[in-house]
Amino acid sequence: MNPVFDWHALAPDIIIVATLAIVLALDFTLPERTKFHTSRVAAVGVLVALVPIVTLAHNGHNRSMFGGTYVVDNYALALKAFFLIATYLTILVSIDYIEEGDYYRGEFYFLLLTAAFGMSVMASARDLITLFVALETISLPTYILAAFRKHDRASNEAGIKYYLIGVLSSAVMLYGMSLIFGLAGSTKLSEIYKHVSTHGAKPLLTIAIFLSLVGFAFKVSAVPFHFWAPDTYEGAPTPVTAYLSVASKAGGFVALLNIIFFGFYGLNGSGTEAWWPVLWVFAAASMTLGNLSALRQTNIVRMLAYSSVAQGGFMLVPFAAAGIAGAKGNFGVANSSFSAVVIYLLIYGAMNLGAFAVVIAVARRTRTGDITSYSGLFDTSPALCVMMTVFMASLAGIPFFAGWFAKFVMFRSVIEAGGTWATVLAVIAAVNSVIAFFYYSNIIRMMWFRAPAPEHGDGGVIRVPPALAGAIGVTSAITVVVGIYPQVFARVGELATHVS
Amino acid sequence: MPLRAVCCLEKGPAYTPPKPLYKACSEPRVTEFYRQYLAVAVFVVAALLMVAAMLGVGRLLRPTLPQEDKYLTYESGSDPLPLFGQANVRYYIYALLFVVFDVEAVFIFPWAVGAESLGWYGLTEMLVFIAVLLLGLAYVWRKGLLKWA
Repeated sequence: MNPVFDWHALAPDIIIVATLAIVLALDFTLPERTKFHTSRVAAVGVLVALVPIVTLAHNGHNRSMFGGTYVVDNYALALKAFFLIATYLTILVSIDYIEEGDYYRGEFYFLLLTAAFGMSVMASARDLITLFVALETISLPTYILAAFRKHDRASNEAGIKYYLIGVLSSAVMLYGMSLIFGLAGSTKLSEIYKHVSTHGAKPLLTIAIFLSLVGFAFKVSAVPFHFWAPDTYEGAPTPVTAYLSVASKAGGFVALLNIIFFGFYGLNGSGTEAWWPVLWVFAAASMTLGNLSALRQTNIVRMLAYSSVAQGGFMLVPFAAAGIAGAKGNFGVANSSFSAVVIYLLIYGAMNLGAFAVVIAVARRTRTGDITSYSGLFDTSPALCVMMTVFMASLAGIPFFAGWFAKFVMFRSVIEAGGTWATVLAVIAAVNSVIAFFYYSNIIRMMWFRAPAPEHGDGGVIRVPPALAGAIGVTSAITVVVGIYPQVFARVGELATHVS
Repeated sequence: MPLRAVCCLEKGPAYTPPKPLYKACSEPRVTEFYRQYLAVAVFVVAALLMVAAMLGVGRLLRPTLPQEDKYLTYESGSDPLPLFGQANVRYYIYALLFVVFDVEAVFIFPWAVGAESLGWYGLTEMLVFIAVLLLGLAYVWRKGLLKWA
């Protein structure tokens, strides 16, 4: 018996695979002079893959394949679209960076698209094995991408650190998954859900869940498993860092969303007490340590690395909230937590990619990531300065930028959960929002109120290539529009109606 | 129709199930799962006995003429390398390629067993799979990694 294929539902993935095959073939057939075409083919392929996503969303049916291990519903579509747009923006950001450096060009886009394919599958995965294969399809190309500056020691260190810790976390996670399979008798999340619903959180299941969560904590660089992130982010080529901190991290969060809400959140909230304390600790520690470390950084990429650890902590808060509420029998919170994570991911993706795009643009002239090199940016490039201000203000969560709405839904979920632990977490999150404000506003202060530092470049206007300008434009537009009209993302909440 | 079945049909006694190895009790002591491991244990013992028997018989029959060269490790006819010696790093590309085609074989064998029932669908799937692998090989070839120098 052959499996039934829904070609329409698989179309986005098939288009990405076809594109990456073409990019690889072009890489070894084109002469060195015309290799820049690979970037265009990759960009066009990603945009073409968005077309079936739009038609599928218009069609509106939930599609399930391969015995329910691969599902295309509105939630999967929204995240597939997010991953593809993030990949497209990363390609835009990379084009000039890759052309001007001493890089392997075709391979860069090939690896980027491979990771994008893994993310697209991840959004649809409803099975432990599919989930794991998708996560590795994301990870393996990004290990290589992190070490892409072949003749640079820091980049090699970045790649090796990321690889070793990534492999270790995969092993721990697989061990947890094997225990889950042994208990539930199936790798399907729907079967695990049934097992958790009837048996609750037995000690062995708690250990299994803990081990698999540790694996995911590495992937999303949650404290105390975040050590690789700052070094990897600093050493890797900056467009890759942007991709790691946005798309790759989002891949880990989507895996976490799938496994927690489709597998471990049992009927009537049974089994939630097995995982909420773990995620509570991850969330609180990530926010606090990430923000406190970011305060002390002098390099903007390292600062953004710690800030992304902290933002990951904010994204873990709704998970803990859903667990706390579920354990008390308040299941409505699961829906609002689920949509809070999704909304936070989408907004974080836009503003963080934008911030990295500005960092890349500024480094084109200053050739450094030093925070002092941002002093007097208003005098030299007012447009970039305004854009960076938008992204920093949004990351800090200042009202009427998108980041504010993301924080709002996050706080709403944890306050809906109620109870001592949720309140404590809300207070920790609130204090951290204030701490974060300091280092984000420090950049803003540097740019607007300081005189330009003569030692960083010639002080002339920074010429921003069109592709990079386009990426900055799109991300800043999303950041501003969603901040003023959060209703455009409010519908995302409806995607989560089938949860629990 | 198999021969034995024909015999049974003609004159054999009615089929009686073989006696169970274990006394039936309400709660089975040894589950089916562990009984399968019993087969593994039997195989291990049989394998050990087989090796011992073959080496032992050889020892009894063969003439014994010791020479120093005969005690060298056999490495495909070339002089053996020291255990922790340095190997040329260029071998690693062959190791990688070997893994690729090894994995390919691992996927093709089970497919070949069920090839008929999978039909054209299975054939197309396998061809796509091989085409993807060939793309990788073409990449390696065009990048000049197959040249030794």
